[in-house]
Amino acid sequence: MAEPRRVIATPGPNVEGRRVPSLATKRHGASWLARFVRRYPLGAAAAVAIMIMAVVAALAGTLAPYDPVANDFGAMFGRPGATHWFGTDAYGRDVLSRIIYGARTALLVGFGASLAGATLGAMIGVASAYFGGTTDLLIQRLADIMISFPIIILALAIVAILGSGIQNLILAIGLSFVPRIELVVRASALSIRRTTYVEAARAIGAGHWRIIFRHMVPNVVAPYLVMVTAFLGQAILLEASLSFLGLGINEPTAAWGLMLSGAAVEFVQRAPWMAVFPGLAITTTVLTFNVLGDALRDALDPRLRT
Amino acid sequence: MARYLIRRLLLMIPTLLTVAVLILTLLTVAVLIFVLVRVIPGDIVELRLVSGGSFVTRGVIEAERARLGLNKPLWQQFVDWMAGLVRFDLGTSMWTGAPITHEIALRFQLSLQLAIMSTLIAVAIAIPLGITAAVRRGTWVDYTVQIVGVAGLATPSFWLAILLLLALLTYAHWLPPLTFTPLWVDPRANLLQLIWPALAVGYRYSAVTSRMTRSAMLEVLREDYVRTAWAKGLAQRVIIVRHALRNALMPVVTVIGLEFAFLIGGLVVTEQVFNLNGIGKLFVDAISHRDYTMIQGLMLLVAGVYIVVNFLIDLLYVWLDPRISYG
Repeated sequence: MAEPRRVIATPGPNVEGRRVPSLATKRHGASWLARFVRRYPLGAAAAVAIMIMAVVAALAGTLAPYDPVANDFGAMFGRPGATHWFGTDAYGRDVLSRIIYGARTALLVGFGASLAGATLGAMIGVASAYFGGTTDLLIQRLADIMISFPIIILALAIVAILGSGIQNLILAIGLSFVPRIELVVRASALSIRRTTYVEAARAIGAGHWRIIFRHMVPNVVAPYLVMVTAFLGQAILLEASLSFLGLGINEPTAAWGLMLSGAAVEFVQRAPWMAVFPGLAITTTVLTFNVLGDALRDALDPRLRT
Repeated sequence: MARYLIRRLLLMIPTLLTVAVLILTLLTVAVLIFVLVRVIPGDIVELRLVSGGSFVTRGVIEAERARLGLNKPLWQQFVDWMAGLVRFDLGTSMWTGAPITHEIALRFQLSLQLAIMSTLIAVAIAIPLGITAAVRRGTWVDYTVQIVGVAGLATPSFWLAILLLLALLTYAHWLPPLTFTPLWVDPRANLLQLIWPALAVGYRYSAVTSRMTRSAMLEVLREDYVRTAWAKGLAQRVIIVRHALRNALMPVVTVIGLEFAFLIGGLVVTEQVFNLNGIGKLFVDAISHRDYTMIQGLMLLVAGVYIVVNFLIDLLYVWLDPRISYG
């Protein structure tokens, strides 16, 4: 049993025995990228896959073989074949075209929600850490309480307040991420606040804004990026769940979660392609984002585990 | 001196303090929920009377509002709710008219059983897999566990649920019954019904747990005392179970606990697929009915379960790691 011994013998303080590039190496953008590709080939492949997905979503109009919302009652529950590669749904709509257009919805909600939520959360986190005192205490208690609800419950409640539709969905999912990101960013910001260079900045008379934006914000970029990528997949899953419940994207807009609801379940035996392909789309997309997220986390800030 | 005395006193009654914080947190949760629920546009009376399409006079609407106590000032409604809470009375559902504790109790059984079954499945799969992956790091076993884990995080449970239904229909020509059979009435029927949702949920759950087990084990396996244990020639099993696992268990227990708390109220989608009348489905229904009292009660339950589970995890820490003490 030599295996575990090799683990123990791994030198260095780093996670899982890998050499972890420090934040300092980030200065040289191109060489950092090259090192990332070399060390995390899987993560790099995921990044390329996401770019391809984004291009497909952007060019949905030319790539999709059919109109995603056009009903064709002559071709209901059509089997996958030469004319409809992934078959047709209960309204005779082309499943492949709806999946391609659904990528638009998924990426829009994914990026929109995680960027909005992470940015707001990071701002609150930095402010909370910087100002400290009662402000910090109140914000932390509020965040603690919000975290005691599962994300989906929080998102559901917010969607109920705002109503369905894509903008509200982005807002609801983004808002439910805020406390989770806030806590992580605050933790990193707290350690920076205590450094001597922040003290020095204050000593030479720098204002709050200058200290926050010149000294604190650049140092929480790493956890911020890690959280954004970690939440991308989750946002897409949440969008699918809410749409499935009929509280997210509304018909006839193409969205993967929506494609799985209703007829897809009811006629699952008669037309399994209606349920299989959109689910595959969700799974592979979220998987890709998670692989990239894991690689970015290891590269940027190995202490973070989401 | 006075400050010192007060501090000593507080140190002497940490349990009381914990309870006070717990109650304070719950109270804040209650206020937040109360406000949040009332921001939801449209009220239950309009939804029930007007959306039916029938002609209703203002008077009828006002009378119904008065019956439900919706015409009282907000603070009065809050005080009423709080007064009930102290007596563990969550009020009556605005939609069905039945007491909320009763409505929740009906579903809680199902949700709790499902949560326990999923946890058992997840733990049984995840912990051995996580340990094996860590011990055999860098081998095909490790990679397989990692791939299955990453895929588990990405697969929506409700999609897995649909696929399970499809498999059952295709290969067994059978579907789980729509009506719920309690465990003590007919254990076989009950397990046959709930095993499928438990499997669908358990996959994601075990993915989360096995990833955590693996990384926690990897960290512990690097420790000096594990090297010492190897050096003095202890059996592998003893080293892994007694020296490594015991110390790696803390983050794993945390993940299991939090995930369990989530399962009690968070299975909103999977329950829908299997047509299970659990807490999650009750929540979705309550939201679409604007059933304020029910939403309040359920959110309080979910937050309460989370807080209590967190508390239990803290207690477990003490048992797992004798260096920790809260006294």
